[in-house]
Amino acid sequence: MTRQKWKGLLIRALRLYTLLVTLITVLMIILGNLLDRDRVFSYDAFFSPLLYALIGTVATMVTRSERELSIRDLIIRKVISLLIIEGAIIFIALNADTIPTEKSWVLPGLVLGIFVVFVLAHIIQYLIDRKEAEKLNADLARFQEKQRNGSPI
Amino acid sequence: MKLEIRKIPESEPEMVEVRYHWMTDEIQEIISFVKSRQGQLTAAWDGKRFEVPVVDLFYAESVDDRLFLYTAADSYEIRMKLYELEDLLKNRGFLRISKSMIVNLMKITFVRPALNGRFSAVLKNGEEVIISRKYVPALKNILKGGES
Repeated sequence: MTRQKWKGLLIRALRLYTLLVTLITVLMIILGNLLDRDRVFSYDAFFSPLLYALIGTVATMVTRSERELSIRDLIIRKVISLLIIEGAIIFIALNADTIPTEKSWVLPGLVLGIFVVFVLAHIIQYLIDRKEAEKLNADLARFQEKQRNGSPI
Repeated sequence: MKLEIRKIPESEPEMVEVRYHWMTDEIQEIISFVKSRQGQLTAAWDGKRFEVPVVDLFYAESVDDRLFLYTAADSYEIRMKLYELEDLLKNRGFLRISKSMIVNLMKITFVRPALNGRFSAVLKNGEEVIISRKYVPALKNILKGGES
């Protein structure tokens, strides 16, 4: 892999990580306020979104491919990636004292919450890509105009 | 020799028409110049040979070690490797957009995001081709006036 590719991969990973930290924090605020309002945490609780976002980012990077994947292969990899994230976070939840997994709503809530964050992360990434496409289209229009007017490429 | 230059609407195809009484060296020279300026590729389809003008090409795709050229409505096979064609068309507004495809940037109507950081290019004949994530930086570069 070339340096430029590594750089691109790192930028995408950092962007995804930051996005996931934000979305997971928002999800924890909403779910916590709705379902477990009286719980008190120590400062260690601030590590949770960072850790979960890391799991999400690593799972996405693990399932990426150098090959040009078909839409079908891409969807399969996305599903695998989601299952890895769900599995890893549920494993942590079951082994962490801070998450009350003994309550019946916690695990389904967690599974649904992870799914929502996963979908939201993809929607936001799509919107970022759409913005990039708009810029590409503006540059493309200028390029084609220049070509039509006989300027060198 | 009379020279006529006329501006036409974009809906009409651009063309150079040579009217002559006798095929002289001078006429042949003009024809050769126009052909070389436009660039033509010799390709085949259904056992027949065709001269395909480069400007009419939408994209070229390599499938199972065979290279196909696509115009608005037709397709041809050319005896060449994709990298050789890429090299030949490098400074003519063509760009590699995936492992198996090069596209004519003048034939793209617009670009839109596809899944997983890829983009797709909608061409002027309505076809859609995928631009791999790997080739997006090269696309940005050439559109900004850099080299492909």
